[in-house]
Amino acid sequence: MLSRVANNLFWMGRYIERSEHIARYLNVNYFSSLDAPNEKSQSRQFVLKSMLFMLGEPSEDHTVLNEEKVLFNIGLNTDSYFSIINNVKAARENANSARDLISTEIYEAINKFYHFILNYDKEVFVKKGLYDFTVNVIEQCMILRGKIRATLLHDQVYAIIMMGINIERATQIIRIINAKYHDATVAKGSYGDTVANSFEWITLLKCAEAYDMMRRFYKKTPTSISTLEFLVLNGDCPRSVMNSLNQICDHINVLDRSKHPAKDSTAFLVGKLRAEFQFKKVEEIEEDIQRFIEQILQKLFGISQKMEEEFFKF
Amino acid sequence: MGARHDNSLFKSYLKKEGLLDEVFDNTGEAKAIYQELFRLYGAHSISDYVHLNNKAKNSFFNQGITFQVYGENEAKEKIFPFDLFPRIIDSSEWEIIESGSIQRSKALNLFLWDIYHEKRIIKDNVVPLDLLSSSSNYLHQMMGVDPPNGIYNHISGIDIVKHSDGNYYVLEDNIRCPSGVSYVVCNRTALKRALFGVFNHYQAHTVTDYAENLLDILESVKPKGVDNPTCVVITPGMFNSAYYEHSYLAKAMGVELVEGQDLFVENDFVYMKTINGPERVDVIYRRIDDLFIDPLEFKPDSALGVPGLFAAYRKGNVCLANAPGTGVADDKAIYTYMPQIIKYYLNEEPILNNVQTYHCSRPDELNFVLENIDKLVIKPVDEAGGYGISIGNQLTKSEIKAVQNQIKENPRKYVAQPILSLSVHPTYIDKKESFEQRHIDLRTFTLLGKDKEFVLKGGLTRVALKEGNLVVNSSQGGGSKDTWVLKK
Repeated sequence: MLSRVANNLFWMGRYIERSEHIARYLNVNYFSSLDAPNEKSQSRQFVLKSMLFMLGEPSEDHTVLNEEKVLFNIGLNTDSYFSIINNVKAARENANSARDLISTEIYEAINKFYHFILNYDKEVFVKKGLYDFTVNVIEQCMILRGKIRATLLHDQVYAIIMMGINIERATQIIRIINAKYHDATVAKGSYGDTVANSFEWITLLKCAEAYDMMRRFYKKTPTSISTLEFLVLNGDCPRSVMNSLNQICDHINVLDRSKHPAKDSTAFLVGKLRAEFQFKKVEEIEEDIQRFIEQILQKLFGISQKMEEEFFKF
Repeated sequence: MGARHDNSLFKSYLKKEGLLDEVFDNTGEAKAIYQELFRLYGAHSISDYVHLNNKAKNSFFNQGITFQVYGENEAKEKIFPFDLFPRIIDSSEWEIIESGSIQRSKALNLFLWDIYHEKRIIKDNVVPLDLLSSSSNYLHQMMGVDPPNGIYNHISGIDIVKHSDGNYYVLEDNIRCPSGVSYVVCNRTALKRALFGVFNHYQAHTVTDYAENLLDILESVKPKGVDNPTCVVITPGMFNSAYYEHSYLAKAMGVELVEGQDLFVENDFVYMKTINGPERVDVIYRRIDDLFIDPLEFKPDSALGVPGLFAAYRKGNVCLANAPGTGVADDKAIYTYMPQIIKYYLNEEPILNNVQTYHCSRPDELNFVLENIDKLVIKPVDEAGGYGISIGNQLTKSEIKAVQNQIKENPRKYVAQPILSLSVHPTYIDKKESFEQRHIDLRTFTLLGKDKEFVLKGGLTRVALKEGNLVVNSSQGGGSKDTWVLKK
């Protein structure tokens, strides 16, 4: 596979995955806030700020946001770099330049997806289309991942795309955890009881589409520690960081077949990070959650950079 | 059964006198070969048909088989106009087209070898020297170069029309980078998706075997000493208007689609940059024009090509398909010598007719052309895509004057041909929601390899969508039709 094309496919995977997480974050936070347990978390400003925070655009406490503007910027504004429309556009452009390698099914799906978003009425979206739009985006992303899995040979091409998807997934899950921890801190003190406190953790789990799984696994109301353990360390949860790391590890082994990967190769970094997580305890993480988040984001970024050096340099 | 007025789709179809209609005979009845199709289509109401037509359009759109139109604010994607009513060619007519296409491709190949080596045809005074020396497509860099296995025009696109006399005429040979074959496949796919039932009543040849044959041909011209050649398709990039075709061909052959930046040359061998390091490339199907393939040898400021590629080619370490310099032979001035060229190299009579052509470079013919512009088609010799063509009977007096002056300024640049009456085919016109007669042509795709040849049984039927228009090129607003070649 050509280095240039590998780079494109890697980013196609990342952009698809990123679109889904943004869409779901919007959907879950907006709609769960409608009947949230207290004034603070019910406030529209709180939710809009949470959305922007998750996208890396935190706002000042006293800023008053305009709902339609914020939604437009996150959903359909081609001038905002983080918007869903720009992510899908980038995914499609990357797919375009690797069109000979991906299946017709994948290309057709990504093309339909792009046109769905391109033609979505902006007025409708900001006024009453949020649910329909985000649910569609999530669904199209799932269709795409299904087609990626089912219509491609599971060789290096597949491995590159899956590396992109999983590195992005781990990154987004961490960003979501970060945002919801931030929300919980902001809302602290306004909760009267533990039931209310669990609200942010339930929302967090729903943002990762992991709430039902979590209930089944713990059979208890989520707490900050059990939620963190589930989303970071439980390898059986398909949205957990651990699960993503396991997959990244499998896929890098297709790209780098050496038994003992060279020091500082991508395979080496991936293996090291996974080993670290295999023997991590949630208490360690909770001790200093900010530090943990910074470190893991940095390491994921490091892996992505190393891939660029090792495979995409041309 | 064949009467038009009983048929809901063709009720309003107007048949003009003097045009050769491929579907309806002089009495207005559907010809035998089309009768079944006529009946099957007639079972649809116009609104059914509109629905099917829209479905087919969506299918093209979703598959991303589009081109960009740059409007005021943003680029829009458009599909190539496609007509759901197919053209049928019976097996006996097809035999003529197929054997004629192969004959021309072979003759052109021998001609190219000759003019880049001994130039016997010039020494024997069959083709005048100044025709070559005045052609900008005659590359001195190719003199004495032996392309692997002696093949120059691996891929030829021959444009053929049916004249009102019922005979097929060749309009031009395209042997640089003829495009359009992906649309042949897409048209078939779209028609199958929309109206699969009609295929039950006809035995049409498949068109999806083009890519496998192309790969066979490319592998057959591998450089010496290579067992399992690595073939690639090189494209100018995703913003090229034919990018869809390039990616389709690479995908259908299962080979890499590369850009110039993905290749490099070391010690006169060509490599591509893969995630596992450099990998040698042996055969390149290039969809980049001659002058852009290697900045060291041709246009120095071109970033599309690969520095050193031509040197590697000259050494025989890589095969380029088509060979550089083939453009000289699809020049419209050379075209007029095709009957002589075929006789000279193959000692055969031409199977397909040439259109009588007047050279403005010859003083006596120039005078005839200048005096009869209203009865002629004037074509620049070295343009592709239907650009610069003037059709005499559609010009105003002042436009005729302008054309006369253009020709006088540079006579070598123009040839003229009598205005052919291209056959017409019922074509669905969106705006009018009805079928109308439109002129069509046919581009055949011929492959030439080492001891191998292949003609795609189908080809691209192009339709001039504007009423009365004779120029069918897609760059001039043309559409296309699925083309069925019937089995014997």
